[in-house]
Amino acid sequence: MKHLRRIFLKFYLLFANSKVEAELEREIGAHLALLEDEYLRQGMTREDARRAARIAYGGVEQAKQLHRDERAFQGLGQILQDTRYTFRQLRKSPGFTVTTILMLALGIGATTAIFSIVEGVLLRPLPFPDPDRLVSLGDVLEGSHCTSCAHSSVTAPDIRNYTRDTQSFSHLGGYRQRLFELSGTGDPAAVNATRMSGEVFAALGVPPLLGRTFTQHEDEENEQVAVLSYGMWQNRFHGDANVLGSKILLYRKPYIVIGVMPRDFEFPLNPGHVNQSELWLPLSLQPQEFMQGGAASWNSRMVGRLKPGITAEQAQSDAERVARETMRDYPAYMRSLRIHAVVTPLQEDTVAQARPLVRTLFFAVIVVLLIVCANLAGLLLVRVIRRRRETAVRLALGARAATLLRQAVVESMVLSIAGGAIGLALAAVALRVGVSRLPQTLPRINEIGLDWPVMLFALGLALLTGFLCGLAPAFAAIRTSVNETLKEGGRTGTWGSGHARLRSALVVAEIAVALTLLTASGLLLRSFEKMRDVKLGFRPDNTLAALYVLPQQQYRTQSAIDEFTKTLLNDLGQLPGAEAVGITSFLPAAGNNWTIAFMIEAHVPPKGAGMNMAAMSLVEGNPFEALGIRVLRGRVFTESDNAGSQLVAIVNRKMAERYWPGQDPIGKRLRRGMPETSTPWMTVVGEVDDVKLGSRDVETTPQVYQPVTQTVASEGVLASAGELSAADGWIVLRSRMDPEQMENTLRATMRRIDPQLPLYQMQTMEHAISKSEAPRRFNTVLISSFAIAAVLLSILGIYGVIAFSVALREQEMALRMALGCQRSGVILFILSSGARLAAVGCGLGLLGAVAASRLLRSFLFEVSPFDPGVLALSAIAMLLLALAASALPARRASSTDPMLALRGE
Amino acid sequence: MSNKEKESIQLLQGTLDLIVLRTLTTMGPQHAYQIATRLQHISYRLLNLNQGTLYPALVRLEQYGWIKGTWGRTESNREAKYYEITKAGQKALGEETKTWRRMSALVERLLLEES
Repeated sequence: MKHLRRIFLKFYLLFANSKVEAELEREIGAHLALLEDEYLRQGMTREDARRAARIAYGGVEQAKQLHRDERAFQGLGQILQDTRYTFRQLRKSPGFTVTTILMLALGIGATTAIFSIVEGVLLRPLPFPDPDRLVSLGDVLEGSHCTSCAHSSVTAPDIRNYTRDTQSFSHLGGYRQRLFELSGTGDPAAVNATRMSGEVFAALGVPPLLGRTFTQHEDEENEQVAVLSYGMWQNRFHGDANVLGSKILLYRKPYIVIGVMPRDFEFPLNPGHVNQSELWLPLSLQPQEFMQGGAASWNSRMVGRLKPGITAEQAQSDAERVARETMRDYPAYMRSLRIHAVVTPLQEDTVAQARPLVRTLFFAVIVVLLIVCANLAGLLLVRVIRRRRETAVRLALGARAATLLRQAVVESMVLSIAGGAIGLALAAVALRVGVSRLPQTLPRINEIGLDWPVMLFALGLALLTGFLCGLAPAFAAIRTSVNETLKEGGRTGTWGSGHARLRSALVVAEIAVALTLLTASGLLLRSFEKMRDVKLGFRPDNTLAALYVLPQQQYRTQSAIDEFTKTLLNDLGQLPGAEAVGITSFLPAAGNNWTIAFMIEAHVPPKGAGMNMAAMSLVEGNPFEALGIRVLRGRVFTESDNAGSQLVAIVNRKMAERYWPGQDPIGKRLRRGMPETSTPWMTVVGEVDDVKLGSRDVETTPQVYQPVTQTVASEGVLASAGELSAADGWIVLRSRMDPEQMENTLRATMRRIDPQLPLYQMQTMEHAISKSEAPRRFNTVLISSFAIAAVLLSILGIYGVIAFSVALREQEMALRMALGCQRSGVILFILSSGARLAAVGCGLGLLGAVAASRLLRSFLFEVSPFDPGVLALSAIAMLLLALAASALPARRASSTDPMLALRGE
Repeated sequence: MSNKEKESIQLLQGTLDLIVLRTLTTMGPQHAYQIATRLQHISYRLLNLNQGTLYPALVRLEQYGWIKGTWGRTESNREAKYYEITKAGQKALGEETKTWRRMSALVERLLLEES
């Protein structure tokens, strides 16, 4: 109790200092007076009595100091005092204060914003209990050369086999995400839903917010139940707690809502935020998914929780054993396929692709922060030099070095904390505005935000920055030589050459890192430009696209589907302004494709070539004309290419060049599957241009087009009984009008044909392209803005150094001119000192750029990280900017009046 | 301040508190000069201390809430700050005295055995 009271008082008295101090003064005065009275009574003279009293009392100042030490925490008190002193000093130079604080705010703010991405995307554990026990399980298909398959996937039989036969997982299940038509509540809409095994919920271990999740048993029994996401519950059901038990229609089949997941539940952890699952349904694999083509479709993924004590490696060899059994049981038509099981920690599986981007951004922003630090240290150093007389006087009067050091560090900490606070606010604003613009390639975007770790990071960064930036000038300050400085009396000949070296080194470092970033930005800009030059293979102008999916409930037979498609194509073709209309299973630039294996007639594959994979598009109508895809040879499909007629195909140039180099591909034959798969031959009737199915910077793959009406026939043994084709597709409509005006016409036409059928993802082709370019644009814009900031800051740095050294050497310049040196000589002299710094910085910067090339390589497109043009241009730009920054002080120096400057002191 | 002096203050801290409290109980409210004089009476030959060294003890005891200072007038009509022991101070004095007795008895016994 007594100690608590005392601790409180010792803090309190730090702030009530002046009152206590006055009281102490009064008490000591009274004490001395009493002592004096006593000595007077003993017969001393007044003078002697006063002396004796003082002696008996002891040192007044010492007693005061003892009292101070006893009554309050003096260490803190001193820092408080230093802080007050700093505030006073900073108020006296508002220009310096505002500049440094803003600079720090920029540096710390940008770093914090980027760090919040690093933290949210890469560092934070997955939002499930014991996340490090969660793994993904999948197959790698030998020889598929599937560069676009970043994640391992599984087939329906795989899901059954792995769950049944592995022993390493406490829970393991499969899942598959797809679009569903949701109706029965509000307008029909497309929702992202995930079909998944009941075991997946058990593996993830997140309890529902309301109701319950479905079990493995319900999954196997084909129960039609659904679990809603929090967002879906809020938006569609207005957070109604009575939603449990209500009915929703998915593709017009009834499902009962049995649960709602908590707000932060997200699974699968897909990149971007448009693909997030809004609904979870039992996987309920159907018999046809195990047969024919289904058995050879790697269209699902698996997630599991490892049993205690089992490592991912053990689980992988366990799964590999099951994979071998699976291969043994392969039906004859896929006997040549070879798979390997892969077990990856879920965290790794989720973030692996995002890592290079996030790392590069972090690297870039750290560079900016380093330059900010160097600039701050430089500016503080200038202050030290300006105040050296004051420092020398203080040292001469007995100020301790530790005190000076502490004050210098406190000053830079005050600046950096102020900068940090503003920076944090900037980061908050940037994140609020920026998260929605993050590229769709980043996972877990919803988790990005300013939370405690990020705040602590910002604070730590501010303190560290302040401390480090303060140290250099602080040591410079205590090295002030009292005698020299006071003797110099303001003459500024040789003083501070050590400091000048330090400042020059800082500037050289700044220029070096700024140049590194500048070349990175240059390389990215060049890549972007190169990408914009890449031919799309189609004409995006005046073309509108939209996706539809026919619900099986309504369109049970092939003839019903064909009827729908025929009406649709016919009605759209009749629209005023329509030039061409078609349907395709995959939209160019949308980033999706479906890669399958082909056999080419009379083609002997080179050894170890693997399978012949090509992206398959099923088409109807005339999508070639609607999309503006150039026909190079032969013809496009006509209405007479139907289910009954000869099987036909169109290939792209890449396909033709790979398999029939130097020959006319027309009349050549190919078929689906592997050598052992019995499928009928299709005859090539046309060759078209290479089309970019995804982003322009992704290499075009071989492509095959086929009339959708011939799908089932061409699948041969892969086709399942009663298989329907053409139940979904992208409508592509080219018109003479503005495509956005066509949107309503297209919707109206669809409503006339099937009033309930929604159109999904309606967009112009130009929009689709811009979306596919977004990730690269994002990288480029962000890195370039960091580079610009870095260059500006380093220019400021070089300007500061040159301007200050010119100011210090004003008299020297004046003397030179008085002795006959030309003004141009002075200018040249100063410019060359700036150029020297810049040249050294650029040299180091180029080395830095080479070192950073490894980090950057994966973001470049058809540009070498050592592109001489970019490197040279960046270096020259940097040099010129540095010269320009030195030119201003040079001009000022040359215009000094020699007499004025010499008389100045 | 000499090192020797510092040491004696260190040594004195606990004792000083005790002496001040004791003085205030037996003599009633006293000002710093009176307490210092008393202290000199008791320890003059042993500890050559300046009167100013009393102040840290006073502020410490006041922060503990054991004594309380109020401004008043001396007989010679000079102003002075009079310290008075509080209830908590009385209680603390009792405990401190007991602790001190135990300690000194222990040390005494130890020294006896040693010799």
